[in-house]
Amino acid sequence: MKTRRAFLTTAIGASVAAVAVAAPKEIETRSAMMTCSPAQGGKNAKMFPHVIVQDQYKRKAWFYEELIQDKLVLVNFTSSKGENYYPIIKNMVKVQEIIADRLGKDVFMYTITTDPIRDTPDTLKDLADKFGAKWQFLSGNPDDIHAVLAAFKVHGNLHALTWIGNEKLGRWLNKPSHLHPLYIAESIARLSTGKHHKPSLARGMGSTLAGMRGA
Amino acid sequence: MKRREMLKAGVAAIATAPAVFGGVMMSKSAQAQLCRLEGIRSPETEPDSPPVSAYTQPIYFPPAMAEVSAASINPPADPGRHQRYNDFPPVKFYVQRLTEGYWNYHDELTALTGNSGSLAWMFNGATPGETMVARYGQPVFVRRYNDLPDLENSKMPFGYPASTIHLHNGHTASESDGNPMDFTIPGKFWDHHYAMYLARNDSREALGSLWYHDHMIDFTATNVYAGLSGMSIFYDDIDTGNENDSNPKALRLPGNLQFGGDNQGNPYGYDIPLILHDVRFDQTGNPTYNVFDTKGHLGDHITVNRKVKPFMNVEPRKYRFRIYDGGPSRLYELELSDGSAMTVISNDGNLLEHPVEVASVVLGPANRYDVIIDFSRYAVGEHIDLENVMEQIIGEGPTGRRLAAGKHMEVLRFNIVALKGPDNSVIPSFLRALPEINLNEVVAHREWVFDHDMGLWTVNGQFMDPSIIAAAPKQGTAEIWTFRNAGSSWAHPVHVHFEEFQVLEWNGKPPTGVLKSRKDVAVLGPNDVVKVFYRFDDFKGSYIIHCHNNVHEDNAMMLRWDIVAK
Repeated sequence: MKTRRAFLTTAIGASVAAVAVAAPKEIETRSAMMTCSPAQGGKNAKMFPHVIVQDQYKRKAWFYEELIQDKLVLVNFTSSKGENYYPIIKNMVKVQEIIADRLGKDVFMYTITTDPIRDTPDTLKDLADKFGAKWQFLSGNPDDIHAVLAAFKVHGNLHALTWIGNEKLGRWLNKPSHLHPLYIAESIARLSTGKHHKPSLARGMGSTLAGMRGA
Repeated sequence: MKRREMLKAGVAAIATAPAVFGGVMMSKSAQAQLCRLEGIRSPETEPDSPPVSAYTQPIYFPPAMAEVSAASINPPADPGRHQRYNDFPPVKFYVQRLTEGYWNYHDELTALTGNSGSLAWMFNGATPGETMVARYGQPVFVRRYNDLPDLENSKMPFGYPASTIHLHNGHTASESDGNPMDFTIPGKFWDHHYAMYLARNDSREALGSLWYHDHMIDFTATNVYAGLSGMSIFYDDIDTGNENDSNPKALRLPGNLQFGGDNQGNPYGYDIPLILHDVRFDQTGNPTYNVFDTKGHLGDHITVNRKVKPFMNVEPRKYRFRIYDGGPSRLYELELSDGSAMTVISNDGNLLEHPVEVASVVLGPANRYDVIIDFSRYAVGEHIDLENVMEQIIGEGPTGRRLAAGKHMEVLRFNIVALKGPDNSVIPSFLRALPEINLNEVVAHREWVFDHDMGLWTVNGQFMDPSIIAAAPKQGTAEIWTFRNAGSSWAHPVHVHFEEFQVLEWNGKPPTGVLKSRKDVAVLGPNDVVKVFYRFDDFKGSYIIHCHNNVHEDNAMMLRWDIVAK
């Protein structure tokens, strides 16, 4: 995993190339570059790498601090190629329809490419647009993306789990990406707080006779 | 076979082929596949718990549930919400409240917490919850209130504060079974009716050592790990709990003075339930759990009745221990530190036909063994330890190695104290007959394949969807079910609700020894194939089949099946 310092050195490498060549030691000793530490305070911050990813619109973000920390998120995994073998986007579009206008406001959905060597923002934009997916499709430096995939224990191009997390509370669960979209949306409602919190969306799926009773 | 010959046979089997899974049934090739090259730690091993002293904490004895009056149940029980309520009207009423609080797992951990105790989810202020002691013919009603804090206010860093309590191996109507979707949210309650009715009204179907635990959809592993488990003991006409029973049919196994006898003496007497949970603690003394590791969760401190590595005083006489693997993921091979024998009298809580003498017992998550240990061979002032010798470094299954001498995991110390009275208990050579297996009753064969695919734990390539009924056996029929582990490096303790099974074949061989029994959890080793006999009677409705590595279960390794009218 790339350290933040190493990443910043690379990231600013292009724009400050002249400076870097002229006085590399100066950059290395700039205190701001030296003291950035991994994110603190997020419930599961230590579980995630400190890397930058970009979406299909080429917007860049720190993966954990900007996309996960303190948010209610749904994260799954595929690639432009993998979709041909184990498609998940179509089902996730149905989840998107159920959560409707919460998307991008208090619920954030991400699809992370499992093929960061081939996938680019452009290929992922084609994939998203083909299905009308309005959430963020993430790619980036292959090493960085592999570190993100490793955090979710994703190995290989095809992965059948979708993670749903309320990282404000640090509570996560996963569902099969092919599960009926109502149950995936239900787990978002279950992990929501405030007016969007609902323990169940699907009724009558337990035993038929008894029911929960009020105290 | 005479008891002595039978015991010899049991010892010989143990000596030549250590029981790993399914008694002595696992093939050598399958066993070889367990062995991995990694060292004792896996790269995925979580940080170690703070070290604590072994055998300094007294064991905790959960009290028996305390009866309340029927009139105090308000609003009253609603018979319309239960199958056959009026056939089996409850005579014992209990109330449990689920709360978040603090639990003293170990004085040295509690010291790290600022002396509050470690965070825990509990029943009536304790974990394990009170033991539900019940007798056949005396139906039970339990109202369980979810008084956990809501999602935003729960301090427990994992789990989900909604709950549905399953009585494991209970012959229970669907609506009282603790279906994963039958959960209560904070502020609500659920009523459980336990008919205390022998399956098919057959005394050979009596159950003995059961347990209750949370079964919340997606959160069973974390909620149970947080503390939502307790034990249950069923007594009947022959297994009465009273070693002085004058009834000539009584087995007179080591007795439980409070529950089975004369209400004198210590809480459990000589019939003691012990539930094992392996827990990992952080530097503040609170339990930790990595929800992102879907292989399974391993703790590095073994708790017995939620005390870390406790001790217990025992008299130089026979004791019956009901040993439970409470999970979430660890398998155990338990043996006494001097290698001396124990006598197994039940498998998964159900009495065997004949006792089996063993050098060790192997348990996967949710397995239970009742064992009799005779401490009369020790002198007052001596001690003997119960240890785990099975190496397991990742949650999905053991390595196949035994831990080297000196590296055994500490579980429980027995300190021998003075005898208080005569030991009138016996170990009968015959315990309880098994119901006959009539293959002419079989109307269907079903196969259940446990596998892993693209990060997902699957059953028959499917995953938990509560709206899909994977099988619908007809009430009053029998079926043969085959459980197959399609994996070559992991273990799956397969559990089916409602009814226990009898093994027909384990990897093609008929069961012997402790495996010749009625079981409710089949721990499938790599590539194991287990064929079992089931009957479906007395109640109808939705049940589940799942992997009892609770982490796999929460990762959707569970299917719904229903019993339907004939």
